[in-house]
Amino acid sequence: MEGSFVNIFIKAAFIENLVLMYFLGMCSYLAVSKSIKTAFGLGLAVIFVLAVTMPINWLIHEHLLSENGLFGRDLTFLKLILFIAVIASMVQLVEMVVEKVSPALYNALGIFLPLITVNCAILSGSLFMVTREYTLGETIAFGLGGGFGWFIAIVALAAIREKIRYSNVPAPLRGLGMAFLITGLMGVAFLGLMGIDPAALQ
Amino acid sequence: MALIDFFKKIEPDKEKSPLLHTAYDAFFTFAFTPNTVTPDGGTHIKDGMDLKRTMFYVVIALQLCFLFGTYNIGHQHFLALGVHESFLAGFHLKLAYGLVKLLPIFIVANVVGLGIEFWYASNRGHGVEEGFLVSGALIPLIMPPDVPLIWLAFSVAFAVILGKEAFGGTGMNVWNIALLSRVFIFFAYPTTISGDEVWVAGLTSTEAGAAVDYTWWQTGFFNGIFEAFGWSTFDPGLTVADGYTGATPLALAANGIPGTDLVGWEAVTSVYSESQMWWGTIPGSIGETCKPFIIVGAILLILTKIASWRIMLSMVIGAALAGMGMNALGLTPFMEVPWQYHFYMGSFFFAMAFMATDPVTASGTLTGKWIYGFFIGVIGMIIRVLNPAYPEGWMLAILLLNTFSATIDNYVLKANIKKRLQRA
Repeated sequence: MEGSFVNIFIKAAFIENLVLMYFLGMCSYLAVSKSIKTAFGLGLAVIFVLAVTMPINWLIHEHLLSENGLFGRDLTFLKLILFIAVIASMVQLVEMVVEKVSPALYNALGIFLPLITVNCAILSGSLFMVTREYTLGETIAFGLGGGFGWFIAIVALAAIREKIRYSNVPAPLRGLGMAFLITGLMGVAFLGLMGIDPAALQ
Repeated sequence: MALIDFFKKIEPDKEKSPLLHTAYDAFFTFAFTPNTVTPDGGTHIKDGMDLKRTMFYVVIALQLCFLFGTYNIGHQHFLALGVHESFLAGFHLKLAYGLVKLLPIFIVANVVGLGIEFWYASNRGHGVEEGFLVSGALIPLIMPPDVPLIWLAFSVAFAVILGKEAFGGTGMNVWNIALLSRVFIFFAYPTTISGDEVWVAGLTSTEAGAAVDYTWWQTGFFNGIFEAFGWSTFDPGLTVADGYTGATPLALAANGIPGTDLVGWEAVTSVYSESQMWWGTIPGSIGETCKPFIIVGAILLILTKIASWRIMLSMVIGAALAGMGMNALGLTPFMEVPWQYHFYMGSFFFAMAFMATDPVTASGTLTGKWIYGFFIGVIGMIIRVLNPAYPEGWMLAILLLNTFSATIDNYVLKANIKKRLQRA
C-alpha cells in the first residue's frame, strides 16, 4: 500500500508531469519563469496549494457530493464550482502568508500569485483525482507529486532562461518565444521517462 | 607565392556577396590562426587553443569509430546473408558496402547542417563557427545504417535550427545538437527507425530468404572494379540466411529469444560472445559498437582536456550503482543481467565519451559535473532496463540532464557563495 503512494508521487512528478506532458498551468509557468528566485517561490506556492486543496476537494467530493454522501444525492455537477471555491480560498491564504513572510517575493510574483486560483494545473489535479478514483492517501500523494513536478519544471525553465539571457537569440524569438521553444524541447527530454510503470516493479 | 597571398587574392567582396565571404572566411580560418592575438602583459592565456582546435580534436577522436563503423556496416550485412562470416573475409566487399551506406549519410548530415549554418552566419553577420563540425561528425555515427536520407535531412535541420540557431548559435545551445537530431528521428518516425531491422543495412527484411537490395553502386560500380582485379563481387541473388535475427544485444536482453526459454543475459550470450560485444562486431548504430576504439578516443579527449573525466567517471559510477541496485531487486530477467555486462551492450561508452561530455550542454561547475554525470548514469540505466518503450537510455538521459544542467550549476554556485560567506 505504501508502495503505491510512492508510485503515484513519482508518476505525477516525473513521468506524467503536469506541465511537460499535459501542458497544464502554462500561463504562470511561462510568465514567472524569468528568474530562478521567483520561479522557486511560485513553485513552492503551487506545491502547497495542490497538496492542501486536493485532500479537501476529495473530502468534499466523497462526503458531500457523491450519492453516498451527506445529502444522499448525486451532486457531482457542482464539483467544478466547489473545487474552484476551495482553491480560491487556499490561494487567498497563501497570498496573505507570502505577503507577510516575503514582501519581495510577493511583489515579484505580482498578479500571478492570485492567478494560481485559475492555474489549470491545480484544478486538473482535483479533476484527475475524480476520474482516476483515488483514495485519500493517493490523492495526497498525487497532489504532492504533481506540485513537485510543476516546481522542478518551472525552476529548470527559469535556470535555462537565465543562462540564455545574454545569448544572441533571433529578435522575433526573444522572451516568450524562447520560453515556448524551451518548454517543447524540455517535453522531448522528459519523453524518456514516459512509459516507465513504477507499479510493475512491486 | 605563399599560400596566404593566394588566399588574399581570392577573397570575395564582403558587401557584394556575404554568403560567399562567409564561406571563404570559414575556410581561411582553418588554414591560418587569426592575426589578432593577446599582447604580452595582457590577459594570460596559456595556450592558443581556440574553438576550431577544440572541435577538431573531437573529430580526430572520432576517426577510429568512423573506420570501424564503416567496416562493421558491411560485416553485419554479410553476416545476415551468411557469407564471408569471418571478420576479415571479403574485406574489400565489406569496406565498399560500408562506404556506400555511410558516405551518403555523412554528406547529407553535413550539407544540410553546414548549409543552414552558413546561411545563418551570413544573414546574421558573424563568422561561421565550428560547432557543426563535431555535430556533423557525431550525427552519422549515432544513426542506424539504414536511415532514410530524407528523414535524416529533416532531423538535422530540426536540430540545427531549433536546437542551436534559435538559441543564438554555437556554444549557446542548451541541448546536445547531435542527440536532438537523433531524438527527433526517433520520435517522428518511430515504427521504421527502431526494432530489429534497421540495424543491419541493405536487407528488405530480416526474414530468412528475404532479398538484398543492391543499387547501381554495388552491382555496377564496385562490381566493375572488383571484376577487373579478379576479386569476389557483390551477388544480387543472395538471400538472408536461416536462423538470422539481427536483434541487438539489448533487444535480446529485454525480450529474450522468442520460442525458447532463454532470457536476459543468457539470451544475449547465446547469440553474441562477450568479445564480439566488446570489439563491436554486433549490429547497432554506426559508430557506437566498438568499445576499445571509443575508449581510445575518450583518452585522447581527456589528455587534451577537452572532455571532462569527472563526467565520464561519475557516469560510470552512476550506471554501475544503478545496475547493482537492479541486480539486488532482480524482478525481471533484464534486471538480473549482471551489472558489469551492461557496459558491453548498447552505446554506453559512446554516450559517455562524446555526448555527455559536451562542454556546452554539460554542467560547468566541478561539483555540478559529478552530479550531472552521476544522474545520467542512473537515469540512463533506468530508461534502458525499466522502460519497455525504448531500447536504449543514454540519449534520453543525457537530454534530460541537459535540461537540468543550468539548474544544477545555479545551485552549486549558490552553495559555494554561501560557504565562502560563512568562511569570511
